[in-house]
Amino acid sequence: MRRRARRYWVRALLPAVLGFLITPRALAHESPAPATTLSASSPGSYALPPIRQAPDGKVLDETRQPLSLRDLFGQKLVVLSFIYTHCADGKGCPMASMTLAQTAKRLAARAELASQLRFISVSFDPARDTPEVLADYARHFRPKGFDWRFVAGAPADLRPLLDGYRQDLQREGGELAHSLRVFLIDPEGRIRNEYTSGFLDSKLLGADIETLLLAPSASTSASPAAGTGSGDPRVGYDSSAYASQSRALGARRPEALDLRARLKAGEAGLPALRGPLPTSAQIALGRRLFFDRRLSHNNTLSCGSCHVPEQGFTSNELATPVGIEGRTVRRNAPTLLNVGLLPRLFVDNRESRLEQQIWAPLLAFNEMGNPSIGYVLEKITGLKDYAGHFEAAFDGKPASMETLGAALAAYERSLIAGDSPFDRWRAGRPEPDFSPAAERGFALFSGKAACSSCHTLNAHDALFTDHDLHNTGVGYAQAMQTPPPRAPVTLAPGTRVPVLARDRAVDLLQNTQDLGRYEVTQQPADRWRFRTPSLRNVALTAPYMHDGSLPDLAAVIDFYNAGGIANEALDPRLKPLGLSAAERADLVSLLQALTGHSVPALVRDAWAAPIGDRQRGPPLNTSPVARASPIIPLP
Amino acid sequence: MKPSSRLFALLLGMICVAPAFADETCVSPYMKRLSTQEDFMYIWTLGVIGMGDEQDKLVTTDVRPGSKTFGKMINSVSVGGRNEAHHSGYTDDRRFLWAGGLDSSNIFIFDVHTDPAKPTLVNTITDFVATSGGVVGPHSFYALPGRMLITGLSNNQDHGGRSGMVEYSNEGEYLATHWMPTDDNLNGAVKTGKLADGYGYDVRALPRLNVMLTSSFTGWNNYMMNLGKLMGDGEAMKRFGNTVAVWDLHTKKPLKIFDVPGAPLEIRCAWNEKHDYCLTATALTSEIWLIHRDKAGEWQAQAVATIGDPKKIPLPVDMSIAADDSRLWVNTWNDGMTRLFDISDPFKPKQIYEKNIGAQVNMVSQSWDGKRVYFTSSLLASWDKTEGPEGDLQFFKAYNWDGKALKPAFKMNFVKEKLGRPHQMTLNARSMYAQSALDAPTPEVATTAK
Repeated sequence: MRRRARRYWVRALLPAVLGFLITPRALAHESPAPATTLSASSPGSYALPPIRQAPDGKVLDETRQPLSLRDLFGQKLVVLSFIYTHCADGKGCPMASMTLAQTAKRLAARAELASQLRFISVSFDPARDTPEVLADYARHFRPKGFDWRFVAGAPADLRPLLDGYRQDLQREGGELAHSLRVFLIDPEGRIRNEYTSGFLDSKLLGADIETLLLAPSASTSASPAAGTGSGDPRVGYDSSAYASQSRALGARRPEALDLRARLKAGEAGLPALRGPLPTSAQIALGRRLFFDRRLSHNNTLSCGSCHVPEQGFTSNELATPVGIEGRTVRRNAPTLLNVGLLPRLFVDNRESRLEQQIWAPLLAFNEMGNPSIGYVLEKITGLKDYAGHFEAAFDGKPASMETLGAALAAYERSLIAGDSPFDRWRAGRPEPDFSPAAERGFALFSGKAACSSCHTLNAHDALFTDHDLHNTGVGYAQAMQTPPPRAPVTLAPGTRVPVLARDRAVDLLQNTQDLGRYEVTQQPADRWRFRTPSLRNVALTAPYMHDGSLPDLAAVIDFYNAGGIANEALDPRLKPLGLSAAERADLVSLLQALTGHSVPALVRDAWAAPIGDRQRGPPLNTSPVARASPIIPLP
Repeated sequence: MKPSSRLFALLLGMICVAPAFADETCVSPYMKRLSTQEDFMYIWTLGVIGMGDEQDKLVTTDVRPGSKTFGKMINSVSVGGRNEAHHSGYTDDRRFLWAGGLDSSNIFIFDVHTDPAKPTLVNTITDFVATSGGVVGPHSFYALPGRMLITGLSNNQDHGGRSGMVEYSNEGEYLATHWMPTDDNLNGAVKTGKLADGYGYDVRALPRLNVMLTSSFTGWNNYMMNLGKLMGDGEAMKRFGNTVAVWDLHTKKPLKIFDVPGAPLEIRCAWNEKHDYCLTATALTSEIWLIHRDKAGEWQAQAVATIGDPKKIPLPVDMSIAADDSRLWVNTWNDGMTRLFDISDPFKPKQIYEKNIGAQVNMVSQSWDGKRVYFTSSLLASWDKTEGPEGDLQFFKAYNWDGKALKPAFKMNFVKEKLGRPHQMTLNARSMYAQSALDAPTPEVATTAK
């Protein structure tokens, strides 16, 4: 009778104590718990990925016979807690057992759930927690008929059991002390969630149980298909009215093309490709290499990191690229669209073939930073995902200075993009995207504005470049002029503050001057001469000029309308043009009509390539001896 | 005592248990806390070309007053490479310290429990980017039960600021990626303003309310870039985060996105269970923002104070909240100042103290009782100042706080010691690793058991 009375007291007190412990906010503020509190998690609306395999261990059943914990799991969904009945820590065992009791009470009424569930409370104090003590303890918590086992750890095996579950156990003032740990274990014996004192809540535990037992695993909501252009455009950012238009990273929708067939067919308005047509295997290998971040010394930069497909195969978000370990790069990343049609490479025209050019960024200290050619080749040879690829693409030849260059060049050559609204209009085909403004712009381009004197056209094709070098004054200004003492810098939408010149564009560790072609020839006449860029797809490749110093096409037109920047070696073709605002707008319209219709398809094809990232394991290429010599013996 | 009587006494005892909150003040509430004098400071340090062994390292400094090696380095573990060493965090059981590299995305896991004076490197996660599906730049390491929640700063597609959070088991196995909400995929979140950038930076939780908050910085392109070059690049300067997101902690689903313009960085949540708020500071616009739950239970965000003169871009960086939620240390990197705000009324923070710490100052950590305050200097390899007074450029400095002023305790010159650039500090003590009760059963228990 007395025991029953005591139990009555205990049970009467339970709800009040639970209320105090679990919803302190409600009591403190004397207001109902708002919707954003612990009731927010809806079963099945989220995933609980397996954390790890639940460790096994020995426990003592109700007759003190040893039993495997895993056998006790019984292929049910298990809620496992560690307790001892003498526990005096208000945030420890009593709270765990009462929270579990509350959960069990609610689930006991739902037979479809309860039948798949088992609660197990393991005492780590087997000396005191005899079967009788545990049975009495259980009576306070276990709803009638609910599958909740109270067992003790086997004394000899307590250590590995507790270590396995990272259940700490100390002694404070002669009593045991521990942190609260409860585990949710699926029928396959995998831990799906862990709960500690701040995380154990009846509603959340119930939602987790229901999520695993009833609801299908949460799926990622599909994003709308993405177009091209930066996934993080910041149009109008200088205004406080700016609204973001960000796209999810998962919004890329890959779609592989037959790049060789495209290359073979050519595109309207483009000159024919010179040299042999690469094979499909060579192009595919080159594409894989192009997007492999492991091609840099510390595995952080691929070719595609600076030549981002959706950003016109350049970077719309940087004036000049950021190299390995953040090192400063002086020149704007050129677009690679139509790069295979250029007779000379780099803005100072210092290189002649793509196969050779690719080694410059791979080895540059401030770009991809590789220590040697051999290092690059040995590293690639050691990567499992390239096994056999070079040999298949190059008649049995392994990765070598020759084949690596040929593969990357093959992919870059395949990036042809002509067939713009301008080409269709010029060929007399109907083209709604070539506006009257663009037509007026073309008249100015070849007439009053004289753009075509450097951005040349042939009779039936055009790259809009003479491939020659010119001094426009951009390089001169950077080297010789003093920047304004203060210039506004945008800190947030609509927030601009003037910043001192010494705090802008100063890299104390590196020479950022650029003398252009002079750096190749050492001829004073070549100071600040840079190659005329192609204008094809120019609307996709902002910012502009060799240093990315002009943000948009309008700024470029304004620059040339002013006649460039005066200096002793200024190209004589540059002089003030006297273009009206309407004429300048017409020129911009023309430039916007030079974008190839196939660019989005090339972008989606690029997205189909895997991005190569480092896998788990020892550092790449640390062996002083090559694992397999990639060197082709000289004949 | 009969079991029932004992249980009754326990239940009564529970009602009287006071919440034990005061502790190291900025760590995950799930973590085992240090509530005594700290013994050691682990300093995650950036390697510098031309200095010492030129690679990142975990430096252990003795901070025990009275110790012969007080204020001295007592251990150093070099990890190989310059990974852009940045933040670190303990697992919830405090047995391991995870330290990340924002550049390489490598995560270095140190055993700090076997000998807290001599951490050892036991595992390196090298495939964080590949397994997470493209998250770059592991930043905050936030302990959850049995797991680590790691915020990312960037991605492997364009090295911009869109990113995600990644969960790992304490054993170092990948569990899940949670992408930050973007305009085209809000993932159920309510966009309260005009912005949803998808950027990440810090994460903090209020478990009793089942919410967590994230802030937003910038991507690899910008945090790796030379700072002067960045300030002169109009396009790059547009790519900073302008949002704070409130999430369902349990499901990791975003609930609300707030416009918080100017790169909100560190998030510090109140400890008191009646304080339903967190604070953050915007690096570029120099404002303290309060993210709070209003009387209707709705989360709100508002700017509540400025830090220094925002037009001078003081660049607020690390913050540390007092255990009783009454004070907030705020460092401003650009002018090397630390400022103490009275945040007793979180809607009206008032600066009550300031002191110049060095040519630049980034991180601040305080002991659980707030009496000892520590500072380090480095922000990012390409942003750090390279010119400054001897000893004031790259340092670890310790002070005692008497309630009115910071009194120097010791300082370490990381340039002179040829260690590198000190970044995040984590406190530790031998007392955190008391002997297991299983190793030394006491006679009393044995008697009781009989």
